[in-house]
Amino acid sequence: MASPCSITIDTRNEGAAQHAADLAVTEVRRIEHKYSRYQPDSIVSRINRDAVRAAVAVDEETAGLLDFAERLWQLSGGCFDISSGVLRRAWDFRSQQIPTAEVLRAALAGVGWSKLSWDGASIRFGEEGMEIDFGGIGKEYAADRAAHLLRQHGVENALVNLGGDIHALGPRGRDDGLIDPWTIAIRHPRKAEESVAHLPLHRGGLATSGDYERYFENDGRRYCHILDPRNGLPVTHWQSVSIVSANAVSAGALSTIAMLKADDALAWLEAQGASYLAVKHDGAVFSKGAPPSTGLTQPGTA
Amino acid sequence: MAAIDSTVGSVLVASLLLPGLTMVSGALRAESAPEQGLIALKVAHYSDGQPGWERVTVRSPQLYALVPLAGDWSLEGAWVGDSVSGATPRMHTFESGATPSMEDYRKVADVKVTRYFSRAAISAGLTYSTEHDYTSRALGLEARLSSDDNNTTWSLGYGTARDLIDNTFSGGGVADQTKRTDEWMLGLTQVVTPNDIVQINLTRSLGRGYFNDPYKDFENRPDFRNTSIALFRWNHHLESLDTSVRSSYRAYADSFGVRSHTLGLELVKSFDRWTFTPGLRAYTQSAADFYFDPVVDASGAPSPVLTRRFANRLTDKHSADQRLAAFGAVTAGIKVAYAIDPQTQVDFKVENYRQRASLTWGSGGSPYLEPFSAISMQFGVARKF
Amino acid sequence: MRVRTTLTVVMLLLSLTGCASFGQVKPWEKGNLANPSMGFATDVLGARFEQHVYGSRENSSGGYGVGGGGCGCN
Repeated sequence: MASPCSITIDTRNEGAAQHAADLAVTEVRRIEHKYSRYQPDSIVSRINRDAVRAAVAVDEETAGLLDFAERLWQLSGGCFDISSGVLRRAWDFRSQQIPTAEVLRAALAGVGWSKLSWDGASIRFGEEGMEIDFGGIGKEYAADRAAHLLRQHGVENALVNLGGDIHALGPRGRDDGLIDPWTIAIRHPRKAEESVAHLPLHRGGLATSGDYERYFENDGRRYCHILDPRNGLPVTHWQSVSIVSANAVSAGALSTIAMLKADDALAWLEAQGASYLAVKHDGAVFSKGAPPSTGLTQPGTA
Repeated sequence: MAAIDSTVGSVLVASLLLPGLTMVSGALRAESAPEQGLIALKVAHYSDGQPGWERVTVRSPQLYALVPLAGDWSLEGAWVGDSVSGATPRMHTFESGATPSMEDYRKVADVKVTRYFSRAAISAGLTYSTEHDYTSRALGLEARLSSDDNNTTWSLGYGTARDLIDNTFSGGGVADQTKRTDEWMLGLTQVVTPNDIVQINLTRSLGRGYFNDPYKDFENRPDFRNTSIALFRWNHHLESLDTSVRSSYRAYADSFGVRSHTLGLELVKSFDRWTFTPGLRAYTQSAADFYFDPVVDASGAPSPVLTRRFANRLTDKHSADQRLAAFGAVTAGIKVAYAIDPQTQVDFKVENYRQRASLTWGSGGSPYLEPFSAISMQFGVARKF
Repeated sequence: MRVRTTLTVVMLLLSLTGCASFGQVKPWEKGNLANPSMGFATDVLGARFEQHVYGSRENSSGGYGVGGGGCGCN
């Protein structure tokens, strides 16, 4: 994980909490290692190397994640596509160059869930130059698994935060026996030192997708790392979308898909029944389901 | 690619199919045994008075314990011991009387066991209460069922009580009288918004047996009393002031002819470890059909002699008990609680109660009712374990 | 209260739960509702004592729960 991660537990039994936290951290590292593109022996690396030649059989956990990825591809109308990682090759954030049409077309040739075959047990690529990665799912899944382990070991008031992908098991414990939510500051997409809102979270998942995590600016336009698999171009409609859901993995999926859906995002989120906070390209804030004390502005259409 | 409708929660549902994530923080179990046990001790002091009468004083130590058992069960028990002393009028309160002071001691013990399921809970409880002239045994059963989203809870309750009234060993004239009451309750609790929850309870109770007050003259009440009660409660959290507003309204009607309304309002506000709960209650009741007013003499003042003469000739149901007259009452009180630590709380509550015919809502109270006031104080300690 | 009034109230209750706009509160929005001040059965002993006091001075006891038993006070 390249981003700061933490597990915070409010407890009266420090020893038990530390033990549970250690187990949770071990689980996060396990998932990070298993689904890392950079580890040559990870399942993802093996698939990316071998699936073009022959179907690669996967274990139950990976199968579950692939099923989930497929379902998200269906529910998002093709926006969410874990085979879109190859577009990275076209968009070189270090050189800060906008790719030519040919380079983009060449990269897009390998993008598309419909170009691979997943039958529930093994995966096979139908084209050359294809890759999958769990970038939009892995960290959130790890946060939920960490929370699951903490709960199994008796923890009730904890917050798992893996670089902004958050799972709250239960509210903060307090001296007087009342309860307090965790207060999550949503980073302002343009002013790094400020927050656009403080969302109280008692329990559940919270995730944010933003155009400020990795980007370059060229000629006054921002090119961010969230690339639309349908045309290979970075999204521009939203600066950031934060979602509160029952778990981190659904919150992360909803926020990523919302960024990709551009001006259809709010209607799609409403149809999903999601609670969201979205900052448009012009800085306007839209929210639904977030409590009034966050000091936000109007809900509604983009 | 097939067009998939994006229905409510479909992403969430898909996420729940992931291995090892079926336990989700956001989806709470509807009913679960309390995670912690509780033991509470309270000492209450109550004192009431009417002009010209010795005060009735009640001292009441009370104990309550809640113990979660084996994950899906809980056991509750309570014990209350009231010491009552003072005097109450034998007829209308305007008559100053040589009523002997009395002292009595009332003990109540009850247990209740609850079994929790994932969307439901059932409980059964027994109560035993005894005073020197009155014994009551009661059974209560309740079942609760919650919707999937845990926003709606239905409850159904049945209770039955058997009472024995006998004051012969202290020289009274009431021997071996019994009373039986059966009641049914239907309730609905609904979460309306993240800051609002409402509850509606409908109760119907049928009582048969001895309803007279053994210490009052000219008592001839019906041998049955059927009541219908509707209770509506609304708890609202005011985010801007971080205060909870608890309001309630109860409508009551019974076969004695009494109709009453009770309105309650409480605010709950915490500062750090302190919690303040000021409250107001307004009450009004109409007189029972068989309640008779005092008879006045030529000067217009109520006369004990004339009233007794009148009462002696009554053959139908009749009673002079002030509690069956038409009057209103207002209570104002405040409770202050302090959390010594996350598991321990001490609290103190003081309330002032005033009952007067002039406080009746609408048409007016019964004539010649003496004003009645009471102060109660409660001091309690509660500890979770 | 007549049977008709009871039935009307019960129908109102049922329609309340049927309302689509009511009760769409998500589990993670219920933080405030979990506060003890928002419950209906908080101070057990205090509630009992008060109901006993009111029951012995007024003629309207009940409505809050079943099976509490009687006493010589009313």
